[in-house]
Amino acid sequence: MSHPGTDLVLTGLGLVLPCGDGLAAARASLASGQPCFGELPEALGAGRGAACTAFQPAGIIPPMQLRRLDRPSRFAWVAAHQAFQDAGLDPKALGERCAVAVGTMTGGSEASEAFMRPYLQRGPEGASPLLFPNTVANAASGHLALALGLKGPSATFVDRENAAFAALEQAARWLRTGLADAALVLGVDGLFPLLLDVCGGARLLARHGLPEVGAGRGFLPGEGAQAFLLERRSAAEARGAAPRATLTGLACRSTLEGGTGARTQALAAATAALDPGAVDRRIGGGSGLTRLDAPEAALAAAHPEWPATVHPKQLWGEFAGSGGQLLAAAMLEPAGRVLVTAPASAGAQCAALLEEVRLEP
Amino acid sequence: MTAPRVVVTGLGMVSSLALDREGTWSAMLAGRDGLGPLTRLHLPAEPAQVAGQVPLEAGRHQTRCERMALRALEEALDGFQPTGDPARRAVFQGAGTSGLPVAEAFLEERLAGRRGRAAEAAYQSPCAVTDALARRLGASGPRGTIMNACSSSLLALGMAWERLAAGELDLALAGGAEGLCRTTYGGFSCLKAVDPQKCRPFSRDRAGLNLGEGAVQLLLEPLDRARARGAVIYAEVLGYGASMDAHHPTAPHPEGEGAARAMAMALRAAGLAPADIDLVSAHGTATPANDGAECLAIRRALGTAADRVSVTSTKSQFGHTLGSAGALGAAAAILALRDQVVSPTLRLEDPDPACDLDCTALVAKERSVRAALVNAFAFGGNNVSLALRRWEGR
Repeated sequence: MSHPGTDLVLTGLGLVLPCGDGLAAARASLASGQPCFGELPEALGAGRGAACTAFQPAGIIPPMQLRRLDRPSRFAWVAAHQAFQDAGLDPKALGERCAVAVGTMTGGSEASEAFMRPYLQRGPEGASPLLFPNTVANAASGHLALALGLKGPSATFVDRENAAFAALEQAARWLRTGLADAALVLGVDGLFPLLLDVCGGARLLARHGLPEVGAGRGFLPGEGAQAFLLERRSAAEARGAAPRATLTGLACRSTLEGGTGARTQALAAATAALDPGAVDRRIGGGSGLTRLDAPEAALAAAHPEWPATVHPKQLWGEFAGSGGQLLAAAMLEPAGRVLVTAPASAGAQCAALLEEVRLEP
Repeated sequence: MTAPRVVVTGLGMVSSLALDREGTWSAMLAGRDGLGPLTRLHLPAEPAQVAGQVPLEAGRHQTRCERMALRALEEALDGFQPTGDPARRAVFQGAGTSGLPVAEAFLEERLAGRRGRAAEAAYQSPCAVTDALARRLGASGPRGTIMNACSSSLLALGMAWERLAAGELDLALAGGAEGLCRTTYGGFSCLKAVDPQKCRPFSRDRAGLNLGEGAVQLLLEPLDRARARGAVIYAEVLGYGASMDAHHPTAPHPEGEGAARAMAMALRAAGLAPADIDLVSAHGTATPANDGAECLAIRRALGTAADRVSVTSTKSQFGHTLGSAGALGAAAAILALRDQVVSPTLRLEDPDPACDLDCTALVAKERSVRAALVNAFAFGGNNVSLALRRWEGR
């Protein structure tokens, strides 16, 4: 669905990011360009990253539920709450007409580690029935369905750095085929010690300084959730809602080969499929990892007419919503036409085009 | 323009009964089960020591999931070399545990104070299997790795159908692969959901599931392309339904409300009436909560037509194969549509009165099977139902 037309609009946005909860914090962070990295709390792993240390679920997630939720589900809950409020939609009234599509790179893994650690050490005595249900990647969508009364179709995509794009594509499809009237789309990831350990051991992380796109020093991890309410324009207009943005294009192209050249070609093909023309803003998925930065650099070199690319992962880290943070960044400044590219270290390379981006719907 | 009809032109199975489709199917019809003593995992403290295990080991640069998936793909292809635009070939895979055994091994090493193989763990994302299948298929079109727990691979089939029916693809591979791992074994066990004996779906004394492993891969094509190349057509895919219960994180809605909605959606998408359905390949996990609720859901969705349908559960042969369970249920339905015989639900000697449908107890049943529904339900109250029709040559 390279050209979905202008019939799909984003009417709600909710954000949990390392810079804080909500749109104002994200806007300020993007405007300042100040990275959110620091030494991580011990519970999240050894090393540096961008943690959601200011995350504030109180007043949104009831305490009884809070203790049952894994970290990504907590982020997802708060972001979804914000998005429904922002859109002026009552999720319970939507019920079975609201779909949920989630993209994540790490969903379920934090709980898997928390479950596995004592199980490997102490056997069945160490196994927690409270933790196990959260080991599935779709835990967040299940918790949201329960909390918000959402009963429509649901899918959780686990992919590399751009899983949120797959979720957005599926949500758009469900709306266009009439299986839902609204779709809650989420990108969500949480940090956990094993993730840091694996990424560090595999030499993927920047060991000194800040991650810098093109420098080849590696990335720093981040976490967060971004929630988007997607509706058909006709439905939004019928209820008097002014869209935050129009989703006019979304394309993903895969590679058969694993090399940088093939990924570069695939990202260029996904972008070309959108026929973006002149764009006012460019959001990219460069993270400091050469596998992602090289395709972005090639694209920028091929289009000198485009404005300089903003790479939000330099502020909020890799993971941090599996591409959801890129889509969110595209909606934080008014623009006529924003091109978002989301390269991945393997598999599909994605691009999206947003138009008529407004700050205050 | 009418939507293209979508047919299944390839089916590969790797199961605890056999490493191929026909071997698995004939064993199912003969009433053999693939459950046996748990040897794949060393978990002596676990009260349950039963599992459905596939006798395939990991390769040098291949996880067991990947190896099973690729083997099933080869059988599904049966020598077919796809031609045409690679960008119009897609791969959709359901995954449950996928790379989790690699993460478990890494964590175990770290807990023992050793360095571990971080690079291996870093690159064993669940989508690694999807990528491997796409490479073998020469598919550079859409890829999706769906992790909706136990309904994942059935949703993958639905997504493949959706895109083929929209005319966006020439060929799609959909399915799932699942290997046993300690997290799921210990997890279901601590939820008291595992039966220490062999599981007994729909039985009065059912006491939980057994875990299993395996892979199922299906090739889906538009009918005109399948005909043009003279492909074997196993069945027609008519549509799917998906819903959430919004009831409980792990337990199904007790009256099967969401499951019934998914089945009704599948019927609507398929343009079928309840009376057209002859078979329900059930989720049928043998947990006390699932089977009764599922039978109620079947009644809600099919009404009085439920009295005429055959219901069967592949869990009685293979255990619960989680991420590949939905595709396995679809394979059983497709072969039933092909051969006009329903595989049995094993060990169903004392049916639960709450499961008052024809659950194909103990022996296979020859009957007319015109159309089927396949169910897969999951943690998070996630329900998927797929509608299939017998291929009768037109």
